[in-house]
Amino acid sequence: MKRLKNKKQKAGVEVNGNGSVTREPDCGRKQKLSEINQALISDPVDIETLRRAAASKGGLLTDELRRKVWPKLLNINVYDLPHKPGRDVRENHKDFNQVVLDVTRSMKRFPKGMPASERAVLQEQMTDIILEVLKRTPQLHYYQGYHDVAVTLLLVVGERMTIAMLDTLSNHHLRDFMDPTMDSTKHILNYLMPILEQVDRELHDFMIRAEVGTIFALSWLITWYGHVLSDFKHTMRLYDFFLASHPLMPIYLAATIVLHREKEVKKTECDMAMVHHLLSRIPQDLPYELLIGQAQDLFDQYPPSLLAKRAALQPRKSLSISTFQAFQLATLHQRPDTVLQRLTKAQGSSTSRQAPRQSGLEAALPQEQGRLWGKGNRMVKMAVWGLSATLGAAVFAVAQTAMDWGPEVLLQLF
Amino acid sequence: MAESGSSVEFSGTLTSSNLPPARTRIFKIIVIGDSGVGKTCLTYRFCAGRFPEKTEATIGVDFRERLVEIDGEKIKIQLWDTAGQERFRKSMVQHYYRNVHAVVFVYDVTNAASFRSLPAWIEECKQHALGTEVPRILVGNKCDLQDSVQVGTDVAQQFADTHSMPLFETSAKNPNSQEDGGNSDHVEAIFMTVAHKLKSQKPLVLSQPPVGSGGTVNLSKGGTDGGEGSRSWGCSGGC
Repeated sequence: MKRLKNKKQKAGVEVNGNGSVTREPDCGRKQKLSEINQALISDPVDIETLRRAAASKGGLLTDELRRKVWPKLLNINVYDLPHKPGRDVRENHKDFNQVVLDVTRSMKRFPKGMPASERAVLQEQMTDIILEVLKRTPQLHYYQGYHDVAVTLLLVVGERMTIAMLDTLSNHHLRDFMDPTMDSTKHILNYLMPILEQVDRELHDFMIRAEVGTIFALSWLITWYGHVLSDFKHTMRLYDFFLASHPLMPIYLAATIVLHREKEVKKTECDMAMVHHLLSRIPQDLPYELLIGQAQDLFDQYPPSLLAKRAALQPRKSLSISTFQAFQLATLHQRPDTVLQRLTKAQGSSTSRQAPRQSGLEAALPQEQGRLWGKGNRMVKMAVWGLSATLGAAVFAVAQTAMDWGPEVLLQLF
Repeated sequence: MAESGSSVEFSGTLTSSNLPPARTRIFKIIVIGDSGVGKTCLTYRFCAGRFPEKTEATIGVDFRERLVEIDGEKIKIQLWDTAGQERFRKSMVQHYYRNVHAVVFVYDVTNAASFRSLPAWIEECKQHALGTEVPRILVGNKCDLQDSVQVGTDVAQQFADTHSMPLFETSAKNPNSQEDGGNSDHVEAIFMTVAHKLKSQKPLVLSQPPVGSGGTVNLSKGGTDGGEGSRSWGCSGGC
């Protein structure tokens, strides 16, 4: 993290040095866009820069970039994605009923203007994706809230990439939440109070006296805030941050949110119900960029190992934490997409090239998409949604030759 | 979130602008039952005064409250709406069983499995020292879906009798309720009945399970002397 921070400062200087343009934010954005694109074509991919970009102001900026960078952050080869699950994924699945129940009730996670038919298709995909990932690793257990992670990924990167990303996350960042019991999750939540103790003793003591516990932050942690934020752009921004960070970072962010509301908390009656009530309702207008920066600073200042020692946290094996270093190391050796494409092709995995074509055609709802795209500019955003979700897979097949593929390219194609 | 958010706004205004005097008694009621039986819907209905448009899975516990007046006394009713998935109740929800004054068990009349889970939920309560001495009621939800009823009233009533609980069948979402006020009052009656029951238990030491109710919590029409409640008892026939 220290290194990240240094780089961040360096980047800041570069931006300023380049500051002949009066509108600095735009200039910073342009600069950032080019840095990200440069990092993506470096060989090996410049993962440090991508991580720094994902965490720093504005995150990954656009959905198009997210589709390129998110897989890199998780060490995923976009040319070798899992296939669409078949219908048999639903057969004899122990979690089937619970998943369907939660997915059916997840309507609010979808953009407001999305036609019900399109949402229904995505919900079907969501169910299949979740069941497929669970089936791949029988040690993983579904939890309510997992579907909030799945839908966030699905809305940005499409079905097949979501399978790949969710699979990786489930075996790393989210792994502790997927034990048969929630004991490991509780253990992770236990890091929250020690952070508060370090920063604001008074607030910490107040919360201890109120016996509020930490369940108010449970849904924040296990859904990466997807369950509690109503504006999807904030959710994506936080996903940028968490995908690039240590698995405990959502807890550090929770701490900054509580600290941010310190005055409100202290004004509340010192009672479990009242404090739980206040804290569990997350304000929708939080200064996310500020809090993200603070969470990083807290992480640097009070790393998990230090907290564990100071707070005498009961030792417990956290798979998310113990596998993280190796996971991060593994991400350092990725080839850029152009190379991956060539290599994957060369490996003769013709199946992975054909499958997306097929699945794209299957899932594309040709009539509906056609109608959407026919409506011109107003519909571009919708089209992008539809595209990222239902055609995400096809993108890789259609635009294989375009280095800078994106919705715009596809819109022209259709 | 939007929906639960508005529920919060409601209870939020309650807490901030309408702060009860310091001496206001608090009745803490926990609402439990399988996933998807409508716990969130019921508690929202009671606290916000209307049905939520859509509800989402509850993760952990949600808290809602409402200030009511019973026989001239202002009482704060706190409802703890819990996650239905088993993994949450094992290690997460425990904390919220403390100092509970009453328990509402909810099942879905169109889902036999949710009814079959009730013994496990009752056992769960016992483990948290919430036995028959604590007022408990049984709510069969979604009785508006008459065509798909899987749990008959007679079976449910028998179960309720065995466990000394009154039974309510209701719907937290009845299309007719807007017009005739029928079932919407039902939800009201359920929680008000519990509140009356709690209030009638004297002396009521709020930090401890109420004493003196004996083995049987037999709430009858006469028990709901607050008025609104009385009609609700006939619901077995009505739904």
